[in-house]
Amino acid sequence: MAINEPSPNLPLADVLRAANGLVAAGLIEDWALGGALAAIYYVEPFTTYDADIFFIPKDRGLTAGIPQIYAHLQAQGWQVEHEHLVIRGFPVQFLAATGLTEEAVREAERIEYEGVPAKVFRAEHIVAIAASVGRAKDKARIEQMLQQADLDKMRLEKILQRHNIKMP
Amino acid sequence: MKLEMRRKLASEPFVEKIRKVAHLIQLAKTFPRRASRPPASRTAR
Repeated sequence: MAINEPSPNLPLADVLRAANGLVAAGLIEDWALGGALAAIYYVEPFTTYDADIFFIPKDRGLTAGIPQIYAHLQAQGWQVEHEHLVIRGFPVQFLAATGLTEEAVREAERIEYEGVPAKVFRAEHIVAIAASVGRAKDKARIEQMLQQADLDKMRLEKILQRHNIKMP
Repeated sequence: MKLEMRRKLASEPFVEKIRKVAHLIQLAKTFPRRASRPPASRTAR
């Protein structure tokens, strides 16, 4: 299947493979899946329309190497739509990690998805990030994580203290 | 949905959950939510 042929399936393996490719190409240091899809690793499935890949940039300048990331993926057939890169009709955001999100990338859980090695934010970091953002949907995510995910309360407490975050 | 059922869904393999997310996206595209209509205005007679 061509890289931008729309797929009824969610092309997550392609997304993760591409993120590994960015490391191999020397464009980023590390990465992990964050956002709603990371939450779904721990809770019931729900509708989400994009994937968030948080990356630790190699280039610590203002652009965080994003132009090079776009150029690399566009050369592989990815398309650009607004703030997203799109693969098989599925939008992906590549977000430079700093502070709490950088820690979340470094401490992310290693998984394998359809044979592709990947990293996904730990449940405690997902909750801490949602608490730091604090929109209505973040509060709903916290509630869902508290109900369904197997959280390490000590780890969560340490993250919240380290980054001076209060739970809503 | 009952919490017990939601926890059961949460414990499914990630690959299976992602397959369900794709299905939910397809359903949302097939049956988009309609904006709720404002209530009909009442006119005094």
